[in-house]
Amino acid sequence: MKKLQFVFLGVLFGFLLSRAGATTYDFYAKLFLFQDPQLFFVIAFAVAVGAPGVWLMKKTKLKAFGSDSPIEFKPKPYKGELIPGALLFGLGWGLAGACPGTILVMAGEGKVTALFTIVGILLGTWVYGLTHAPKAA
Amino acid sequence: MSELLVWSGWVGGIAVGLYTLLQFWVTGKALGCSTGYGNVCGLASKAPFFHTGEYADLLNWRLWFLLGLPFGGAFALVSSGVAWHPTFDMGAMYEQVLPSTVWARGLVLIAGGALIGYGARSAGGCPSGHSIAGMSQLSLPSLLASVGFFAGGIIAVQTLFRVVG
Repeated sequence: MKKLQFVFLGVLFGFLLSRAGATTYDFYAKLFLFQDPQLFFVIAFAVAVGAPGVWLMKKTKLKAFGSDSPIEFKPKPYKGELIPGALLFGLGWGLAGACPGTILVMAGEGKVTALFTIVGILLGTWVYGLTHAPKAA
Repeated sequence: MSELLVWSGWVGGIAVGLYTLLQFWVTGKALGCSTGYGNVCGLASKAPFFHTGEYADLLNWRLWFLLGLPFGGAFALVSSGVAWHPTFDMGAMYEQVLPSTVWARGLVLIAGGALIGYGARSAGGCPSGHSIAGMSQLSLPSLLASVGFFAGGIIAVQTLFRVVG
């Protein structure tokens, strides 16, 4: 049941990414060439809605739906490789015109070349895992 | 490609922002896509990295969430009034600059994907985890990562279009 819930959330998020234009290759090139701010607006407005929403959820100590467990607001930590890693990510983001979430949605839309990028992402993740010590929980 | 229905950026952004809050509320967990690729690696690799900490349970929510994404794409296409069909078309922009033979283009995309995969693990997340969920929590590391993502994207695409285009 829990698993199905997450599959359904994936379907919903995938649908929204597509409608937001994040599965259209052209928008990535145009974003980084400063020709069309579509995807910049998507992130900016998502944060403009998300930030006050998170603030309100924290303020009211909202519990996760249908459970007594608190919502995990656990921002990601800073680490030395964060900025070089983000730059490497960005190079790939621009080159492939997709990110780890959107590329799976693109594959679902029938964009065949997405499969190459997915193989690449798995390869990059695997190489990182082979060359790095496990992260404590 | 242009057959896909796309909302204005601000409408799409508000919808994605509301989704982010919905996921926090319904599941208690922050949105994130790239970590789940490690789950897949762990299913095929014995490397300790993919079996410790956040990868102790490889069949956790991240895997099921990623599994749903392609279906969301298929639904988005069909509900745009387009019959589902496979296509090699990458849109007018990338068709200008990427190699036109399938194998050469595939190599470029695999390389780009590898940068994405390695970079996401180094940065600890991708645009969904850092730029959307992270910045919504007003996290400074997530802001720095997002600036890095954009800087890399600008360098790659500006170079690509100046050298090849």
